[in-house]
Amino acid sequence: MTPEEIGQRVVAFLDSDATEVEASFGTITVTVPAQRYADVATFAKTTRGLDFTFFDFLTGVDEAENGYGVVTHLYSPIHRQHILIRTVVPNDDPRLPTLTNVFAGANWHERETWEMFGIVFDGHPNLVKLLLSDEFEGHPLRKEFLLTSRVVKAWPGAKEPGE
Amino acid sequence: MGLSDQVEVPQPIKFVLNWGRKYSLWVFNFGLACCAIEFIATSMSQHDFIRLGVIPFAHGPRQADLMVVSGTLTDKMAPAVKRLYEQMPDPKYVISFGSCANCGGPYWDSYSVTKGVDQIIPVDVYVPGCPPRPEALLQGIIKLQTQIQGESLKQRYAAPAALTSAPVGAR
Repeated sequence: MTPEEIGQRVVAFLDSDATEVEASFGTITVTVPAQRYADVATFAKTTRGLDFTFFDFLTGVDEAENGYGVVTHLYSPIHRQHILIRTVVPNDDPRLPTLTNVFAGANWHERETWEMFGIVFDGHPNLVKLLLSDEFEGHPLRKEFLLTSRVVKAWPGAKEPGE
Repeated sequence: MGLSDQVEVPQPIKFVLNWGRKYSLWVFNFGLACCAIEFIATSMSQHDFIRLGVIPFAHGPRQADLMVVSGTLTDKMAPAVKRLYEQMPDPKYVISFGSCANCGGPYWDSYSVTKGVDQIIPVDVYVPGCPPRPEALLQGIIKLQTQIQGESLKQRYAAPAALTSAPVGAR
């Protein structure tokens, strides 16, 4: 089974909801609307022929005014295929259903994504801080998060190439 | 500790006591990052800090004289460092090993890294480098031993390290 065929099956499942399917370097990336996100993960895990039973990781991406992206990487040990399920949640109310009832291993990843990006995972059994200290305020991986040391002393060089 | 915290011990006795203390430093390695590997390298046969009387087999902080904080200290780890430091018996010494433990190092602007272990506990010797070579730690140990040799026992035992007044409660 090629990544393209996997993409076709996921698109067929999503019917008209898939916004984008992209295959690059042997990995299929499916961008799905937030309300179908948990469906797709369940579908990819339980469907015979796909068998994405291994949960690799889940993380967030701050996409500025477009919202927060959430990327879930699944692996199929039987077919040796990878899939990235990508979804975007709005800035003002970033919220997704939890995957912990599909993949138990998503538990800590969702806690980390919650504390780092402020994305709430509805139905998560224990959504408390994982890595940050208890008194920490804010979501440090958001682009809007201010680094206090940088306020006192600016970064002594170019932040991006070509700047 | 008897009279030694009330009167100044005469020079010959002070010399012998300090000489004995500086060559039996039971060390407790608080390894937090890659600097811990350099510490381990220093304890191994190539550099062998046991020849300087530094003994890397303290069973825990309660049996140690010297703590070497080697690596990146995060805000979440900081209470543990303070707590283990407070468990060490006086007189106790701290070597801050590497840029991260000295001042935050490459993580100077991080949201989660403590900008130097000296914000938590008093430090006797700072060893710069990222990571420092084992020779640098040997130099730091020699600096500390020079300091111990010149110490006044009266001051040392009468006033234990000043910053340790507020103990950290059980979490």
